[in-house]
Amino acid sequence: MEASRETTAAVHSSSVASGRTLWKDLARDRYLYLLLLPGLFLILLFRYAPMYGIVIAFQDFNIFKGVKGSEWVGFDQFSRLFNSPDFYEILRNTVLISLYKLAASFSIPIILSLLLNELKHVLFKRVTQSIIYLPHFVSWVIFSGIIISFLNPVDGLFNMIASQFGGAKTDYLGSSAYFRSILVLSDIYKEVGWGTIIYLAAISGVNADLYEAARIDGANKGRQMWHVTLPAIRPVIIILVILSLANILEAGFQQVFLLYSPLVYDVGDIIDTYVYRVGIQEANYSYATAAGLFKSFVAMVLIVSVNKLVKMSGQDGLW
Amino acid sequence: MGLTRGEKAFSVLNYLFFTVLMIVMIYPFWYMIMGSLSDPIYVADGGFFLKPAGFSLSAYEAVLKNVSILTGFQVTFISTVGGTAIGTFLTATTAYAISKRRLRGRMFFAFLVLFTMLFNGGLVPSYLLIKELNMINTYWALILPAAIGAWNIFVMQSFFRGIPEELEEAAKMDGANDLTVFFRIVLPLSKAVLATIGLFIAVWYWNDFFSSVLYSTDKEMWQLQMVLKDLISNTSNAIAQAGISISYQSEVNEFTIKMASIIVSSVPILLVYPFLQKHFVKGAMIGSVKG
Repeated sequence: MEASRETTAAVHSSSVASGRTLWKDLARDRYLYLLLLPGLFLILLFRYAPMYGIVIAFQDFNIFKGVKGSEWVGFDQFSRLFNSPDFYEILRNTVLISLYKLAASFSIPIILSLLLNELKHVLFKRVTQSIIYLPHFVSWVIFSGIIISFLNPVDGLFNMIASQFGGAKTDYLGSSAYFRSILVLSDIYKEVGWGTIIYLAAISGVNADLYEAARIDGANKGRQMWHVTLPAIRPVIIILVILSLANILEAGFQQVFLLYSPLVYDVGDIIDTYVYRVGIQEANYSYATAAGLFKSFVAMVLIVSVNKLVKMSGQDGLW
Repeated sequence: MGLTRGEKAFSVLNYLFFTVLMIVMIYPFWYMIMGSLSDPIYVADGGFFLKPAGFSLSAYEAVLKNVSILTGFQVTFISTVGGTAIGTFLTATTAYAISKRRLRGRMFFAFLVLFTMLFNGGLVPSYLLIKELNMINTYWALILPAAIGAWNIFVMQSFFRGIPEELEEAAKMDGANDLTVFFRIVLPLSKAVLATIGLFIAVWYWNDFFSSVLYSTDKEMWQLQMVLKDLISNTSNAIAQAGISISYQSEVNEFTIKMASIIVSSVPILLVYPFLQKHFVKGAMIGSVKG
């Protein structure tokens, strides 16, 4: 298969050069271009047109005048943003929430998948898998409904249990002391099973002879996990960590949006919710676009540099 | 098998641990089902359930009479079916073209797709675009922007790469063109990956509410999850929306209605869950071994 592909490639490269072969190639592959066209159109319209729309970050955009009629203000929106106390608050919240989630989502699924892999009862293992990743498919809307109901300050489950032990009733979701922990814990709860399954898929690919060999050499379960399983799933771990590091400014928009309230803006307001509130609800289009651009730009620099670092260390990167 | 005592103890603890974990994972769903079946007289606004407090189907009656929920079902159904069909098909066509190394400009097109993973225009420009296109309060706004994404395209492309070239060459020998090769040979061979990607896309559309937040100012165009969000966050809205008269309120309370609405809207996902399981794990593996 690989060989035949190379011969075709060789035939083509030998016939390149002149413009006539270009037209010939285009004509030969006309149906491939036809297949490419509709998808490409959607990508250009819904991904690239908004990138062009970023120009309004450098304007004082007026929706009635449009992009052409609005006044250009250079970096004014950015200096407004960087001089606003809001900016440091939302940046701190975004990075902190994200880092807490990253720490949890990096370690717990690996441990769970190692343990799950030790279950020898096939049916029990299958049922466990199916159940622990069920929450991944439940929407954040439904999940927020569960959280709101459990944490209800009057008679939610947590407050009922707390009052049994003589605790005071607390509005957990409206309290800055608890809000971030709720975000992190509920995110772990919802996504830990899914993360586990991905690692488990990688673990099941490990050659069983390696374990047998390690066992004969006197390695116990712990040593087998450390010396056989972990090195085998290292590429998957690296890819997932690159992705989460690159997404450090994605603190979980839907989750925060559905759970937060003005009471917890000080600890829970993140860049995305801020952009939505200020940009869409209050119609400060240019200012919010500038905040969004800051986020997209940092994210791009992060993913490109993390990928480069990974490649420099001799591992396979994302591309 | 000659397990040492330490290994046996580990094994017992391990089974115990996962049993507890399963109970913890299931309880919220159990809680909602029991809550929704409870008699409103016995429940306040939460509490702890192992079984329904009393028994009543009044909450379900109220939900099925709720016009906004029924409209939401309709909007979500149409966007999910439309989005999944368009999204899966166009992901496949785009991925197929990019998978052909002989295609002129392939690297450029692949980069156009890849770059959307690295950088995006952001929320406000996307919103203004939909406004500019006059798509506010249309199905187009709920369907088209999310229909195809870079990740799915690359997953599918890597699958197409695995199909032997000889099949294409043989068909071409018999006078087939690229369209017939794609529709008659490649697509039938790709049912598994199409199902995986299709399910990923369908679940996304079913769970989407934010498109409605942005693009549906008219409540008639609210997706189901948006209706639920409104119902959950607006206390005392649930009863009003169900159009229940005050005298009837003692028999139906907000909590049971909320729980019943959540259960009703989750039924379709639970019905496809067995298929999801089969294909999603496969998809997760394809995804993790990268595109």
